Amino acid sequence: MAVGLTLIFGVMRVVNFAHGDMMVWGMYLAFVLATRAGIDPYLSFAFCAAALFVLGVAVQRGLVDRIVDAPHEMQILLMLGVALVLENLALAVFGPEPARIRSALARLTWEVGPLYVDVARLVTFVVAIVLTLALWLFLFRTELGRLIRASADNPYGARVIGADVRRIYAAAFGIGAACVGAAGALVAPILPFQPTTGLSLSVTSFNIVIIGGMGSLVGAFVGGLLVSVAESLGAVFLRPSLKELFSFGLLILILLLRPAGLFGRRAA
Amino acid sequence: MTTRLTRRRFLTTAAAGTAVAGFPLPLRAQPTRFKIGAVHPVTGPLAEPGQACRLGAQMAVDAVNAAGGIKSKGGLELELVLGDTQTKPENGRVEAERVVTQGAQMLLGSFDSGSTNAMVSVAQQRRVPFLIDIAAADPITANVAKSVREGQQKVQYVYRNFPTGSGFGRGAVRYFTEIFAQAKVTPKRVVVMYCNDLFGQNQSRGFMAAYKAARPAWQVLEDEIIAWPEPPTDLSTEVSRLKSLKPDVIAPITRPASAQLLLPEIRKQRVESLGIVGPGSPGLYEAGQIAALGDDLEYVLTSVPWANFKNPRTAAVAEEYRKRSNGKTFDTNSGYSYDAVLLIADTLERAARLDDPEAIVAALRATSYTGGLMQYGGPIVFNELGDNPNAIPTMIQILGQKPVAVWPKEAAVQKLVFPRPKGG
Amino acid sequence: MRTAAALVAVAVLLALPAVLNAYALTIFILILFYAFLAQAWNILGGYAGQLSVGHAAFVGVGGYTSAMLAAHWAVTPWLGMLVGAGLAAVLGAIIGYLGFRFGLRGFYFVLLTVAFAEVCRILVSNIDALGGALGLYITFTGDPRQFQFQDQRVYYYVALALTLLATGMAALIERRRFGIYLTAIRDDEGACEALGVDTFRYKMLAMVVSSFLTGLGGTFYAFYLFSLQPNTVFGIPLSVEIIIRPIIGGAGTLLGPILGSFILTPLAELSRQYFGQSGLHGAHLIVYGLLLVSVVLFLPHGAYPYLRRLFKRA
Repeated sequence: MAVGLTLIFGVMRVVNFAHGDMMVWGMYLAFVLATRAGIDPYLSFAFCAAALFVLGVAVQRGLVDRIVDAPHEMQILLMLGVALVLENLALAVFGPEPARIRSALARLTWEVGPLYVDVARLVTFVVAIVLTLALWLFLFRTELGRLIRASADNPYGARVIGADVRRIYAAAFGIGAACVGAAGALVAPILPFQPTTGLSLSVTSFNIVIIGGMGSLVGAFVGGLLVSVAESLGAVFLRPSLKELFSFGLLILILLLRPAGLFGRRAA
Repeated sequence: MTTRLTRRRFLTTAAAGTAVAGFPLPLRAQPTRFKIGAVHPVTGPLAEPGQACRLGAQMAVDAVNAAGGIKSKGGLELELVLGDTQTKPENGRVEAERVVTQGAQMLLGSFDSGSTNAMVSVAQQRRVPFLIDIAAADPITANVAKSVREGQQKVQYVYRNFPTGSGFGRGAVRYFTEIFAQAKVTPKRVVVMYCNDLFGQNQSRGFMAAYKAARPAWQVLEDEIIAWPEPPTDLSTEVSRLKSLKPDVIAPITRPASAQLLLPEIRKQRVESLGIVGPGSPGLYEAGQIAALGDDLEYVLTSVPWANFKNPRTAAVAEEYRKRSNGKTFDTNSGYSYDAVLLIADTLERAARLDDPEAIVAALRATSYTGGLMQYGGPIVFNELGDNPNAIPTMIQILGQKPVAVWPKEAAVQKLVFPRPKGG
Repeated sequence: MRTAAALVAVAVLLALPAVLNAYALTIFILILFYAFLAQAWNILGGYAGQLSVGHAAFVGVGGYTSAMLAAHWAVTPWLGMLVGAGLAAVLGAIIGYLGFRFGLRGFYFVLLTVAFAEVCRILVSNIDALGGALGLYITFTGDPRQFQFQDQRVYYYVALALTLLATGMAALIERRRFGIYLTAIRDDEGACEALGVDTFRYKMLAMVVSSFLTGLGGTFYAFYLFSLQPNTVFGIPLSVEIIIRPIIGGAGTLLGPILGSFILTPLAELSRQYFGQSGLHGAHLIVYGLLLVSVVLFLPHGAYPYLRRLFKRA
């Protein structure tokens, strides 16, 4: 989830406020597939990823492309508008009540000594690692991946060597959206979701990405772990209802002391 | 200039809009029907209960009119002027003003306490009797009573036919005590858990206050009350904590979203207990929740305002509701709105005059009505705060994947199952 | 010519309560209230170009302060309003200090403001003394000494006065050197610093003024709607309502926020009436989103400058 966001920002310096809401659409898509077609989300997540890839490219081509050179404020507002539309479309289509997918896998737990391991979460974790690795390989080992990184570092230079920057941006945005689509499908059996979940997911994504470092894949991954650990610790030591304070507190600290995040490069 | 154009255009479009919405503009004050402003959150996050309320109220109006209207006033019929708050307090105010401007002589609403309190100011300002069908925050009526007592307001126009937060608490504590006595257990480790939002906090506070006042034999672990932010993304930490407390009884106050996380988590972490008994919250009995949670909800008890299914009329109304709502159950929300309209009809029968708000208020205060469809502890009356002390919850249990009333005995439709069967 | 038009507009606004029914009056009160908040934000976000998406925090601080003072120490909200606004300004100063001293720009500053607003929201939700998530409920007494009025028209005039106050301040700032500095900082902060302008000081000043005014609004909210809930009053949706008006209307212009409010509040109301009947949830927010997207793409400076150009040509 955060990996997708960091990709979008790292490459295009566009802040995708609609990230969380895209994820919610991913979740709803998985939900529809599960209830109408009976496909388990652990299988359908690839499809959700693909669908969101298309959405991402569409958004990028249609909207973001026009303002790539515009000041940051405009980009933020644009994505905010997209977020509003996505969230409330979901509300109109699916209604406000929380939905959840019942997957056979989600009901299992393993006993490992004194611990109980939630199989669903374990699977999600493993898939997340696999996807992240796949993405890393893609970015560092394939032609397109290298082009994406090049455009991120130096758009003019990339153009000079003949890369079609617009297409690359579209690809990057699309991949970022695909990540989020997969994440949505994987998480859907664990997390009851409503259209309004989008907002908190966006905020969490941003938390993670800032803490881990914008534009750094490793950072996004580590950031994700950090934030969840921080929140759990907060729940244990403080009142659980205050656990979100921990991640926000961490966010503020990082913003002030090391805005590049733990693994990020200094923003241009 | 531009601003003037916008204003004029707005006013005409608003008039057109209201006409389209289907309400005749009051050209002159010619009340051939008595208008009640029914304001509920029919869109927005509380749309489902809001729509249930609106339908319940509409059905009651249709029933009253079909039976001949307000007989003592020449068969005067009732009519609803509908409003939507979207759960935002400012809309509560706007809609209240709008329906009163369109001729409503009484107000009905509005489910969430923020919008309800905004409506209170309009009711008091414009002297419009306001019957709250659903809203639990105690201060809503208490504040008005106080301002009348202290002379800042002349008349209290706001009354409530619904259990208050403290009423919920007292009812729940009483049921806990009786159920445990019935099962011959005295749990010493009752763990209270709640969703940390407006509703959850209110309920938990009411419950704990009633518990401390009653000092029953069973005991809550007072220092180990677990709260979580609502809506939660993950409750594994909270449930681990629950498990480490070795609870006898788990008492959760949930919302639909958190219930969907909590119950499976309790099962996954294999937290054993005598049972899950909720002091009263949504999320543990609705059709949608049963569909989503299945077996995890079986045997769960919760104390909620419920319809009296032993009353023959209730079954007929529930059936009609099921038809008109495409399969939904007649429950707390639709039920209390339905009863509120019946109550208004009864009040209007007794009121000396209908064009004088104070006369209506006088009749309201003198109410002693037994024709309600919900489970009450006596006739509907109003106390000095404007609340109905006989509005009580009922303990329901999910048995056979259906919610049924199990306690108190007078209300029970099926036998209570507690402690929860092992392996269940 | 412009002053004459302004005076006519004000005169019309003053006369409106005489002809409007209570419902329309309520709408206008909300239009003006949000215009006031929008204008307060405009000073920081429009003129100084520092986007804050956490302005709801100031509304919350202002409102809660005066409500608590009134409830527990019987302090009249007229005074409580100033104390609340003062506290809001202190919070603004803290956020501003942290943000500007550490050089947070653009997106990072936005995130900082959001984080602070959320922290406030979570804290207040969990502090029982402040009413927790249940919030504070204010007794209706209709007593003017308690900033409550039996007659709605007084609320209207108060809202109008607040809007004129904020607009007046914005106008003042616009004409003075302060305003010119702010606009320069917005356009190119690096250049300003190179020229030796103390950007930190001016940004802080804008922040403090903006948060103070917004805090005043909090009291109005509390004593007009009679309840405060942390999720409503500190939440991101309120911040969005605050910023969307100047953006659509024209950030950094004097009349932009007001125009924005005159467009958006009736729009929200109408869409609620139209769409609410057919059960379409949250339709007005879809419209907001679409508007926001369209404005950013086609009218990046907002409606007001566009209209002004249109009228100049005509």
